[in-house]
Amino acid sequence: MKRYIIRRLLSLIPVLFGITFLSFALMHAAGSDAVLQSMDASGITLSREVIDARRAELGLDRPFLVQYFSWLGGVLTGDMGVSYVSGRDVFSTFISKLPATFLLAGASILLTVVISLPLGILSAVRQNRFTDWLIRGCSFVGNSLPNFFTALLLIYLLAICIPVFPVISEGIGVRSAFLPALTLATAMSSRYLMQVRTAVLDELGKDYVAGERARGIRFSATLWKSVLRSCMTSLFTLLALSVGSLLGGTAVVESVFLWDGVGKLAVDAVNMRDYPVVQAYVVWTALVYTAVNLITDISYHFLDPRIRLEGGRR
Amino acid sequence: MMKKEKNTGRKKRTAVLQRLVLGMTAGLLAGIFSGCTVREGDSSTYQTGEESSTKTFVFGDTTFNAENGEADINPRHDNGGWACIRYGVGETLFRFTDQMEIEPWLARSYENTDELTWKITLRDGITFTSGRNMDGEAVKECLEALVSEHDRAAGDLHIAEITAEGMTLTIRTEIPVPTLINALADPYACICDVRAGVTEDGIVQGTGPYRAVSLTPDTSLELVKNEDYWNGEPKLDEITVRTITDGDTLTMALQSGEIDAAYGIPYLSYPLFENDGYTFTGCATSRVFFGAMNFESGITGDPAVRKAIAMGIDKEGFVEGLLDGNGYAATGVYPDSFAFGGDAVTAEGYDPDGAAQVLEDAGWTDEDGDGLREKDGTPLVLRWLTYPSRQELPLLAEAAQAMLGEIGFRVEIINTADHNRLRSDSSAWDIYVSAMVTAPTGDPEYFFTYHCLDSSDSNDGHYHSDRLEELAEEMARTFDVQRREELAVEMQQTILDDNAYVFCSHLRMSMIAKAGVTGLTAHPCDYYEITVDLDYE
Repeated sequence: MKRYIIRRLLSLIPVLFGITFLSFALMHAAGSDAVLQSMDASGITLSREVIDARRAELGLDRPFLVQYFSWLGGVLTGDMGVSYVSGRDVFSTFISKLPATFLLAGASILLTVVISLPLGILSAVRQNRFTDWLIRGCSFVGNSLPNFFTALLLIYLLAICIPVFPVISEGIGVRSAFLPALTLATAMSSRYLMQVRTAVLDELGKDYVAGERARGIRFSATLWKSVLRSCMTSLFTLLALSVGSLLGGTAVVESVFLWDGVGKLAVDAVNMRDYPVVQAYVVWTALVYTAVNLITDISYHFLDPRIRLEGGRR
Repeated sequence: MMKKEKNTGRKKRTAVLQRLVLGMTAGLLAGIFSGCTVREGDSSTYQTGEESSTKTFVFGDTTFNAENGEADINPRHDNGGWACIRYGVGETLFRFTDQMEIEPWLARSYENTDELTWKITLRDGITFTSGRNMDGEAVKECLEALVSEHDRAAGDLHIAEITAEGMTLTIRTEIPVPTLINALADPYACICDVRAGVTEDGIVQGTGPYRAVSLTPDTSLELVKNEDYWNGEPKLDEITVRTITDGDTLTMALQSGEIDAAYGIPYLSYPLFENDGYTFTGCATSRVFFGAMNFESGITGDPAVRKAIAMGIDKEGFVEGLLDGNGYAATGVYPDSFAFGGDAVTAEGYDPDGAAQVLEDAGWTDEDGDGLREKDGTPLVLRWLTYPSRQELPLLAEAAQAMLGEIGFRVEIINTADHNRLRSDSSAWDIYVSAMVTAPTGDPEYFFTYHCLDSSDSNDGHYHSDRLEELAEEMARTFDVQRREELAVEMQQTILDDNAYVFCSHLRMSMIAKAGVTGLTAHPCDYYEITVDLDYE
């Protein structure tokens, strides 16, 4: 297993090099730069001398490859640079956003499990009855709603009509995290409960379930000890993918709820052509997905010992 | 017997499921309500009498963020001066009246002893929130730091030397700068205590009615009353400025009572607040949505085409229909709050039939009846370059596409964030439509200097007028305010007569507050929001 983990970590090097180069190239191809974007935002026309001086100060007057390798050199020596927009250190800015991102991701996953697991099971067990149709209908609606709309709807219901939660975040805390987490969980649960339903239905149709029933084993015991355990691998895969996506930030929800996470930081940076911040985000996302995929692969082995990791002995 | 067993099994399964679902639901609800404890004061940010003697206020603003160059309130950093002055932390030596005329503020008076020398007398009895007295030496240090750190300020002020003696400041400039006093009213010229420094978060010590105590970029700014304020007693003890970039969130935050006043509510949300519970304050600013014609183009190089464009755009219709009344139809460069703005000049009025006739007379005719005019085989296709970051600009492009389409144009919209690169290529567009502040310091020279002259960096359409160049030269050496205003009118009229630019609308700056809020008044320069008068009854 050690060799497998080391090989996976080594594969991260070309991945990081490739995607950071690609993102840097795409940002340049999109045109404009931080100085011009800032001028547009303020509406104050700057003289050519001022524009040129600011671009030179940020190093934007250098050729593309020089800019990229300069950034890369900085990263390899532990310096992620300074934001072109705020003038603050990129690494510390990014780190300061992570607690909010982790809290929101954790709360969303928790709510998703709490919502989708029981409803998915209920829907499967009550297949083709009113309960099943109702849950599937809700899932369809939840899946169809864009996140920003769900967010605004929840704010309207739970912060204005019934004012139990704040519209704007009061800082990093459970109370402020609840509405954004519920927004994200609504969309994810709508997808996952159907996956849970399908997985449970598959398992319920298998011979061992009929066999356990024939031997007089209680249905609840079959459900908890056999069916759910068998469904775990596929559920775990889905959740792992979601963790990756959530840790990568959820810009729309973060913007609506003023949640100070990495998603909003990244979108703002893209809008303002703040290359150092965008690059930091790209590195972060690559690390998150690699780590999540690695942890998921390793977990499979423990969830289902029949699954061997690549390179493992059979 | 079999049927009974089957029923019993089904009942057991149902009971298991019910327990399962009930358990999960209970867990979920417990989770929800454990986070549902409503804290005192959530429904209102104003606390009175027995509850608390502290008067607090929360102001929501869409613009207080790094994207707008307001990562902090340091006037010497980017556009930090806007936040410094808007939120009552900093003040300038001079300020603008409601008619955009200059009046002393921290200064008591000024004298222009010769073309290069300005003598400014400061008010007595003013202290910074750091405790230091504001005297000539403190102001000198501040302005010296400003020109060494802020490139735009250095370019505007051209300061060669400053000397301080008691409460008198003498500024000598490198070249004649008739707009020096105006530039000293720009937010970057907020007077701060340089010796007190700038905190890591970008907080400075000014002379305003409020003192900044903490700042989280793109999130919030906490202010407390300046107990030693020189110009009256601030009415509020604590103010929080919240950055709320999403317009819908800002709307609902005001509806829920979490904020007391808001800047940047989307136009579409205005009807929600048009009732007794809220008050509006708004006025026209010098931010104008305008098109610059490309004189290198075979289309807009034709005076008849430019005239037809000017006559073919229904500015009133755009403002009333698409902006829902949240703007002012423009005639010239400046709104009517300026002495040299509004109706001081004349422009082509909306006249689609007249525009069609102008085109017809110039040889732009629709021979094949397809609705598109041609001349010598060239179709009347207008490439309309604009950008999406100002919500009004794409709307204006679509409105113009429809309006000009009626008179035989085909408008091709190029709406891109990369407009700054494209506009420097005069073969890529015919009209460039942007949104710019035309008089950030209340003086008319700025717009012409940057946009209309042979030497202008933003004259990408290569417009040239001998008369305008002459007038600009005269303005550059004219110190008399009255004469500058006359020149401003004449210069505007020159570019309007050439139809070199078409000015569509001025931005209406609005703030919405709860009904009890007083002293919050929109200002044409958009610089003054939180002042000593702000109160909540």
